[in-house]
Amino acid sequence: MSLIAQQIVNGLALGGIYALIALGYTMVFGIIELINFAHGDVYTLGTFFSLAILGLLGATGELHGPFLIVAVVVTLVLAMVLSGLVGVIIERLAYRPLRNAPRLAPLITAIGVSFILQNLMIYWHGPSPLPFPQILPNPTYAIGPVQIAAKQAFVIVLAVVLMIVLQLFVTKTKLGAAMRATAQDRDAARLMGIDVNATIALTFFIGSALAGAAGFVSGVYYGTTWFFNGFAAGLKAFTAAVLGGIGNIAGAMLGGFAIGLVESLTTQLLSDQWSNIVVFALLVVVLIFRPTGLLGESLPTKA
Amino acid sequence: MRSSSLALALALLLAACSSPASAPAGNTVKIGMDFPLSGAEAAVGQPIANGAILAIEQANAAGFAGGKFKIEADTLDDTTQGLHDPAQGAQNAKTLIGDPAVLAIIGPYNSNVAKAEIPLTNDAQLAQLSPAATADSLTIGDGAKALRQSHPDLVTFFRTCTRDSEQGAALAHFAQTLHLWHVFIVDDNETYGLDLADAFAASAKSDGLTVLGHEHLAAHQQDFKALLTKIAAAHPDLVFFGGVTTTGGALLRRQMPDAGLGNVPFFGGDGIASDDFLKTAGAAADGTYWTIAAPDVNRLGSAREFVAAYRKRFKSEPIGYSAAAYTATQIALAAIAKGIGSDGTLPARATVVADVAATKGFSSPIGIVGFDANGDTTAPVLTLQHVKAAKIETVDVYTVK
Repeated sequence: MSLIAQQIVNGLALGGIYALIALGYTMVFGIIELINFAHGDVYTLGTFFSLAILGLLGATGELHGPFLIVAVVVTLVLAMVLSGLVGVIIERLAYRPLRNAPRLAPLITAIGVSFILQNLMIYWHGPSPLPFPQILPNPTYAIGPVQIAAKQAFVIVLAVVLMIVLQLFVTKTKLGAAMRATAQDRDAARLMGIDVNATIALTFFIGSALAGAAGFVSGVYYGTTWFFNGFAAGLKAFTAAVLGGIGNIAGAMLGGFAIGLVESLTTQLLSDQWSNIVVFALLVVVLIFRPTGLLGESLPTKA
Repeated sequence: MRSSSLALALALLLAACSSPASAPAGNTVKIGMDFPLSGAEAAVGQPIANGAILAIEQANAAGFAGGKFKIEADTLDDTTQGLHDPAQGAQNAKTLIGDPAVLAIIGPYNSNVAKAEIPLTNDAQLAQLSPAATADSLTIGDGAKALRQSHPDLVTFFRTCTRDSEQGAALAHFAQTLHLWHVFIVDDNETYGLDLADAFAASAKSDGLTVLGHEHLAAHQQDFKALLTKIAAAHPDLVFFGGVTTTGGALLRRQMPDAGLGNVPFFGGDGIASDDFLKTAGAAADGTYWTIAAPDVNRLGSAREFVAAYRKRFKSEPIGYSAAAYTATQIALAAIAKGIGSDGTLPARATVVADVAATKGFSSPIGIVGFDANGDTTAPVLTLQHVKAAKIETVDVYTVK
């Protein structure tokens, strides 16, 4: 029983990372109905940026006290800003020129951008996996029968905080309202004086920044990175977005945590090799009964 | 109009088909090569290819077949998306088969790539010599026969490395000598990883070890927390991994301390034997043991000349499989030289296969080698290594009996 509780903690940490990535997929799909296949690579790029920033800060090993907090905050914020800017550049160069092209065209450029990012990362750090400095001390806290490592708590708390901030931004601010309006009806939004291009760019910025945050978190959590990590993580996160209801922000969070939990519980109860199969079987079953995902699409259908 | 253009197309097709049948033109012999030369496995693939290149350059410098022929290497990469890819390997094999000047192929590194290539090279009756693909099923039993679809009784695939069953047996035996009785086995669910893990499991059981569990990994995983929690609950003395550095080997070891398994020894085969493993696993790499299905060249008197020549040519250190590739290439070249007719015509591919198969008592850096009826080396050697204070140390070199 305690083993199951332990696996739930493992699953929540994994799911937190999936959920942060899934948010970017779902926000971009919500606003321009594009599946941004390069998003997983932006996540990996976030880890690469974090690695570079930590290098500049001179953080190679475990950090303590105020320097730890400064290093974490600085690295997180810079990695998010840089990843966000990469997202904006991708949108400007690869998707905006094709906004009125047939649906398939931006999908193909998205795959192309994914390859370009992967190869840029190979060019930057080579094709081998890279160690990521273990900056966070990792004591374990026992809560009843469950052991929570500091790193796991860090992942889960940071993911939840960022999601709450995002939710508040989208529902309470003017820019958030502009995003929702653009998602609902781009032309009407433009008529109401919303700068649609800027709003779409903002959406890419926020989605990519969250992927950057996930990249930093994953570096801290796993202690390694590799240019190819974004492929599998992106696929799972995309699945999370679809499972929760693509276009729906709360759905992406739910889907991310659900997939993390299903994966770790499948590993415990069945076997590791079944984890992907169970995740995708679950997706198929959910989509048969709820074609729009667990929380449905919160956007009204376009006429 | 229509029929005449069809006839023209047919004529062209026939002309295209008939050219490979004629004897290769010119005085160039090509040795095809297929290894992972980009992506994460280039760290191993390149030094292996270098071994073969060195053999070719030396043969050219000495004048191959009395200087009548020039040998060229046609080096192909079987990596896509940063990892070895059986489909790309098969594509490469087709490319090499399609070039009539190619009389032998050296490679590949990965067993699942070999599995995709053997049916093609067997069909073309083209000799293929791998210095590093170790899965038993490539040469042994019905599985190997099934790979040789076109000519089931003609062995066209040879190797200068030792089989996984020998690696598994040596590692199980070593676990026994360290008194590590309870083992948990993980593999990456690929040809090589499964084969090695099964070999280890079989030997472990017959050596009196207890196998607590055997898990196969899902592909492209980054998070092993759940699996390691499950493994830790079984309290193993030893975790065995069948697979390569990039299919989970290094990450699994890296994450073991977080699951409270930092002091549990980690065993694996030649697939994790690389500097990349050390780099990725970091401080957690200590306490890892692995075998290499080739000798430690630095400990071998017969390899001294090879090591010196390799260092001089490539300004880097050879690995065990560099010497195995060098040897495989020398054997292929010797077989080709033997088949050159008195009138200076090159041998047919099938003749090269027969001459490679007949190799016996061939003196090489890795010892006196030959091939048995399955195409396996008659002089299998293993090196056991240990990671200690972030350095690789050779524990022992065994000659397999």
